[in-house]
Amino acid sequence: MDQQADSTALAADLRILAEADARRTPMDALLEAAGRGEWDDDRGFRLLGRLWTLKRAMYYVYGAWAMGLNVNEFPPAVAYLFGKQIYDDSTHEMQYVDEILRRGWAPTQRAAFAHPYCAFVPATRLAYFVFALRALTNYRQNIRIAALNLGAKVIELAWLERLGRDWPDPALRALFAGQVAETRSHVLMGRLIVERWVGSAVDEGLARIDHRVVRQNYLFALDEIAAATLGLAEVKGEVSVPKD
Amino acid sequence: MTAATIPIRIDHEACTECRMCYVVCREIDLNAVYVAPEPLHRFEIDPGRCQYPGCTACLMYCPAPDSIIEVGSGRSLVPPPPDVWTPDRRVARETA
Repeated sequence: MDQQADSTALAADLRILAEADARRTPMDALLEAAGRGEWDDDRGFRLLGRLWTLKRAMYYVYGAWAMGLNVNEFPPAVAYLFGKQIYDDSTHEMQYVDEILRRGWAPTQRAAFAHPYCAFVPATRLAYFVFALRALTNYRQNIRIAALNLGAKVIELAWLERLGRDWPDPALRALFAGQVAETRSHVLMGRLIVERWVGSAVDEGLARIDHRVVRQNYLFALDEIAAATLGLAEVKGEVSVPKD
Repeated sequence: MTAATIPIRIDHEACTECRMCYVVCREIDLNAVYVAPEPLHRFEIDPGRCQYPGCTACLMYCPAPDSIIEVGSGRSLVPPPPDVWTPDRRVARETA
């Protein structure tokens, strides 16, 4: 018989680990640059373009994960919460392109889609984060959600809170702040899923491994986004290569 | 020359947030419907971009009665009244 995991302690531990990662992220370098006035439309377009690309790519991940929500494996509540998460991330994706269009950085959504700042390029850290998440399709939903919602989502929540509180530009500050509640709900959904549906020691082990990988990949992706925004890495062409 | 427009708004009591208006408006590159930057993330219509009554595309796809309202008159535009239900107003027209 399989050993039982202390799922409440596991959920708390996973969140604490991610919160430690989140104390300072590459996004804070952008906040500091904007606070010093080292900001312009090009940097704004780069930032929102990359964030839009990352959110768009989540459709690719969630589509695969939804296929893996096997009939009768989990109660409907798990699918309800997942459906809401897909909807929320879709809303956030829409907000990023809304702001790009509103500011006239691209005349149409089609033009934004074709712009290098908004391109999904396979050989990037952003893409690696996405592909690795997609690869979790082979895991059960409780493990995937433990890794994403108590990993990357915790880190995302932290930088969203800071940028939503301190970003100098009121429109962008409102955009970031407006995403906080829904992102926090994803973190709490992760807590619920882990507490109720990560019951075995095997599941706990898998969750811990995937959680570590997802956090690391997300931080690499954020590092690339920040570097691209600040002009420290190329965002044009086939690959994103740091200049150093 | 730009055609005169009439402000319209979304009634959040009736709107189901199905996103059809947003998608349709994006597809014709007007981009007048947007997600408000507040925690509820409701949809709004930018009067600076909306071309109603020159364009009524969103009205044709909205499934929720009374969810899009003419600001001045307060009349419901969903389902579209006969005077806006004309083929030449279902998509954005050349206004310049």
